[in-house]
Amino acid sequence: MATIWVFAEYKDGVIGKVTFEAVSEARRLADAQGKTVSVVVFGSNVDDAALAPLAQYGADQVIVVDDPALAEYTVDAYAAALDGLIEAHHPDTIMFVASSTGQDIAPVVAQHQNAGLISEIVAIEDEGGQPVYVRAPYSGKILEKCAFTNNDDLNIVTLRPKAFTIAEPNTSRTATIVREAPAGFGNIRQIVKDVLRVASDRVDLRDAEFIVSGGRGVKGPEGFQVLEQLADELGAAVGASRVAVEQGWIDKQFQVGQTGKIVAPQLYIACGISGSIQHQAGMGQSQCIVAINNDPEADIFRIADYGIVADLFEVVPLMTEEVKKLKA
Amino acid sequence: MQEATRELYWNIPSHWFMYVLFVGVVVCFAIFFYRRYRLWKLGAPEELSDHKSERFFGAFKEVFTQKRVVRKKSSGIMHLFIFWGMLFLLVATTLVALQDHFGIPILYGDFYLYFISLGIDLAGLVCIVGVIIALVRRAAKINSNLETNTADIVWLALLLVILLSGFATEGLRIVGTNDPWAIWSPVGYVFALMFSGMSPEALSLTHQIIWWGHLVLAFAFLAFFTYSKMAHVLFIPGNYYYRSLKPAGTLEPIDFEDEELETMGVRTLEEYTWKDLLDAQACIKCGRCQENCPAYLSGKELSPMRFIQNMAAQNLERGKILLKVPEDARTEEQQTLLEEGVVGTVISEEALWQCTTCRSCSEECPARVVHPEKDIKARTYQVCMESAFPPEAQQTFRNLETNGNPWGIGWQKRTEWTKDLDVPTIEENPNAEYLYWPGCSGAYDARSRKVSTAFVQLMKQAGVDFAILGNAEKCCGDSARRLGNEYVYYMLAQENIETLKQAGVKKIVTQCPHCLQALSVDYPQMGGNFEVLHHSELLAQLIAEGKLKAGSCEYAQVTYHDSCYLGRYHGQYDAPRNVLKQGAGAQLVEMERNESKSFCCGAGGGHMWLEEPQGTKINDMRAEQALQTKADALVTACPFCLTMLTDGVAAHDSQMPVKDLAEVLAEAQFE
Amino acid sequence: MKIAVCVKQTIDTEAVITLDADGQVVTDGAALIIDPYAEFAVEKAVQLKEANGGEVVVVTVGTQDDVPAIRHALSMGADRAILIEDANIDTTNPLAKARILAAVLEAEQPDIIMGGYKSGDTGQAQTLPRVAAIMGIPQVGWITGLELEGETALVDHELDDGVERVSVALPALFTAQQGLAEPRYPTVRDIMQSKKKPIDTKDLAAIGIDPSLVGPAAAQVVVKSYALKPEREGGRIVEGDVPDAVAETAGLLASEAKVL
Repeated sequence: MATIWVFAEYKDGVIGKVTFEAVSEARRLADAQGKTVSVVVFGSNVDDAALAPLAQYGADQVIVVDDPALAEYTVDAYAAALDGLIEAHHPDTIMFVASSTGQDIAPVVAQHQNAGLISEIVAIEDEGGQPVYVRAPYSGKILEKCAFTNNDDLNIVTLRPKAFTIAEPNTSRTATIVREAPAGFGNIRQIVKDVLRVASDRVDLRDAEFIVSGGRGVKGPEGFQVLEQLADELGAAVGASRVAVEQGWIDKQFQVGQTGKIVAPQLYIACGISGSIQHQAGMGQSQCIVAINNDPEADIFRIADYGIVADLFEVVPLMTEEVKKLKA
Repeated sequence: MQEATRELYWNIPSHWFMYVLFVGVVVCFAIFFYRRYRLWKLGAPEELSDHKSERFFGAFKEVFTQKRVVRKKSSGIMHLFIFWGMLFLLVATTLVALQDHFGIPILYGDFYLYFISLGIDLAGLVCIVGVIIALVRRAAKINSNLETNTADIVWLALLLVILLSGFATEGLRIVGTNDPWAIWSPVGYVFALMFSGMSPEALSLTHQIIWWGHLVLAFAFLAFFTYSKMAHVLFIPGNYYYRSLKPAGTLEPIDFEDEELETMGVRTLEEYTWKDLLDAQACIKCGRCQENCPAYLSGKELSPMRFIQNMAAQNLERGKILLKVPEDARTEEQQTLLEEGVVGTVISEEALWQCTTCRSCSEECPARVVHPEKDIKARTYQVCMESAFPPEAQQTFRNLETNGNPWGIGWQKRTEWTKDLDVPTIEENPNAEYLYWPGCSGAYDARSRKVSTAFVQLMKQAGVDFAILGNAEKCCGDSARRLGNEYVYYMLAQENIETLKQAGVKKIVTQCPHCLQALSVDYPQMGGNFEVLHHSELLAQLIAEGKLKAGSCEYAQVTYHDSCYLGRYHGQYDAPRNVLKQGAGAQLVEMERNESKSFCCGAGGGHMWLEEPQGTKINDMRAEQALQTKADALVTACPFCLTMLTDGVAAHDSQMPVKDLAEVLAEAQFE
Repeated sequence: MKIAVCVKQTIDTEAVITLDADGQVVTDGAALIIDPYAEFAVEKAVQLKEANGGEVVVVTVGTQDDVPAIRHALSMGADRAILIEDANIDTTNPLAKARILAAVLEAEQPDIIMGGYKSGDTGQAQTLPRVAAIMGIPQVGWITGLELEGETALVDHELDDGVERVSVALPALFTAQQGLAEPRYPTVRDIMQSKKKPIDTKDLAAIGIDPSLVGPAAAQVVVKSYALKPEREGGRIVEGDVPDAVAETAGLLASEAKVL
């Protein structure tokens, strides 16, 4: 029976939430096409307990490759292990999460397996029984629908994080767990010297997926502490408008705008920022903009996807609570 | 009674000796002058030998009216005293010489009494008063912007001694000759009273000593005249004569089509033109430039005076090597010194980027030194040849290159502002009388779009036949050019000129004074000759023609902020005020610094795109000046000023509305 | 040391994208720039050359229309360029481009191959990893730092939650992520000089590639259609009492915007 594989993001004994999105989507596709879903998990000392949720979201089978060589990500080791599995089991579709790891390894495996690769898909549609993959290139300005020329060959896709909804977990579902030992990893040419985790520290503005940014309405350095609480909850970076920086409420390195940093996060929450063109030049490419300002005439509302006309000191703590709830 | 006169050279039998001395004076004068001439001639060529009579009469007028000097009342009047006093004394001395040696009878009768006796006496007195004021204000350090060194005091003291000794000899002569017309020399007469009891011998001896002393000091003054800052008496009129007859803010264009082009802008001092170096020689460090410099006044490192003074000092230092040491005989140290660029020696890297090109330094300079262009020349080298500029400007440069606007918004979005307005493009209305040039701000900036909208409504109301270029319009290039990015400016200007020419445009109305400068002053250098006016000028014209009726302003009092580029650069102070007064029916209350003394908003010279890390924010300072008027609204006529002053007013937690005059006029017309 | 940088020209991220009558993306008149990720790579390559000597070669698969991007790389300090232009190439196919680049790079034998991990416009993010796989040389993707230690490169490989420092023996291929290097602003002198630097234009025959391997027949993926995504409307105010508005906004961020 044809199988859809999902390559799991596994780190420190935890399967990432993004993987559940992919598993949920794989399940939907498999159900439509009468296929099964297998999740591939690489790591060292992989704990079965961490794998349990995979079944709830739709995995029929979990293939685990547990080896010290997979403790830290290297493209050679991971690709070799995956190549071995593919050659042994012949899945017909592999889904990766379009994370730094997934996007890194997918094209390598695609090339090794002479497979087509469609990257960063945001939706899968059905066209006459065949899957059509939707991408959003050109900074999301275009929706591109594409398909593989040959659906019988191995096809590989990467899924944009957060684009796919996670299914309601079905706690009664179970999956078989298969542990496989790879034939070998070949010559691993990348030697990991050191790994620096930055998750706990504040994220750099330009890399940030989320930014909570403050302007004149923040009124002072104390105001930024309120913003920081929301940022911490979101795992976001803190940004600022030129005014806030010039007032000395926050350091220059956090300035977003024409003469500061140019950012394009998924979510930009502008608090007490009027949204001058100089500021927009730095954040206009954000995927989603939320504006919080008590002046309904503020220009920021013109470009914001969602606006709340109210005092930021009332809104931001409430928002922090909402985010907490969502994450829980 | 015999005709009024006096005996020349009384009691000085061998006064012929003074001519021997005079030859020495002339030689010293000439040597020192030649030395200075050689220094400024080290500069690059600049053609300024045109329009001789216009140059002469212009300079003549400015010298004799002292127009530029008395722009500042206090020190201006002091200088006026010394200037006119010395001038009269010089004329009198010359007349004496003419009569004595050429036998021309001049010093007789009423002319003698009124002019030579009374007139010159009073001139001397006025001069003494001027010199004493000068000494006191230097000694008492009344003006902190006035740097005083020993030489300044010595020269003034010398002048004072010369003047006083002149009166002393006169007093002695009056006593000695028992001058019947003594009362016609009132100051001399007062001195005479002091000597009245002396014996004839003592009198004669004292007279001879003081006479020769006076002569020697005066000759010394003349001999070292061109060696010292006193040379300004020659150099400033010279600088007036060689003034640029081009519009204010003219920058020399660079031809990028030129295959031989090797460098751009100024790296070493001698790449400045000889006129630039003459400017430096003419600077008498009166400090008026920095007294009016927004960068200096806001606590930044830049001082236009230091910049120019450093140029003069470097000119001298480098001149010693360049003029005296043959190339192959220069030591390594000398070579290194000559290799040094102006950035770091004449002006620091920080200061270089602090000039907002507001022009108030040049406007105030009594010597007609032109500062901003010198700064821009150095920037041009830094940007075009070294890629050395404040990092935040890079984004603006790239945006201008890619999308033709400083924010990098897609060029296809330029006309989005017209969506609900029915504004014809030049294709739709090819014979439009005016091409309306909203500029990047007017087209992209939500705040300035309101100004564009108001202006369009007004033009429609007045029945103006206009059109816009649409998406083909690009940034005028002013910011790029004044940030030293001549290359990006060149590309933008070339494209715009081409588009305008193809559309057959004759008259252009801009909304931004920076566009006005680029289109009317910069573009003709590249073959783009259009009649360009600012929206305030067109609106004033429409009001004068009765096409827009007098409205009633919602604000009781407004204050108007003169944009540097509309005011000092284009001399347009009346049109915007007329729009407000006659068109909007507003009552105008002026800020202390207004019209040609207006204070920059802080955005000119590309500063809209730069950070302002040092000192107070210039826009905050200007906003404070506006708030002091207690007016109900602050009105500008420039999108950059609008942005800067809005921020500045907000920084003072004030609710004072900041508006463009077109908005105020539209509100007064349509409500 | 020889460094090859694969450069692509892309449509500016701020550009308004339009489709023609056939539903294809219009590039004519669009603001075109050197791809920002490729630009990071060029900058790093030039910095390495400036520190260690050697040569930087730009390699582009495209047409004469891509010359401005190549010139930009040359003005940044690259020494020469190779442009593979042939009507038979399906430039939308990353596999085809990878085969061509691999052939060119095999001949050039650079010590380091660099390029963007993806491009700013089509963002397929796979051409260069495929090149390394074809050539059989080691690769590290998403790099934000690179130091040389003799014949070894120490690179910072970006992870979702941090950075992994990896040592790789050269020759190797690296793909650039933002942060690798701040691209310089070329001087006018550099721009003038870049016009004199050679761009070697080659066709498929010159590099010995069978057109069928890189033509439309080789495509593994077909684009069915393009559609313009509606521009951000903006201006949506979430009304109601503040607590309700905040709760609703948070809900919309998760369900509609899908960012939470």
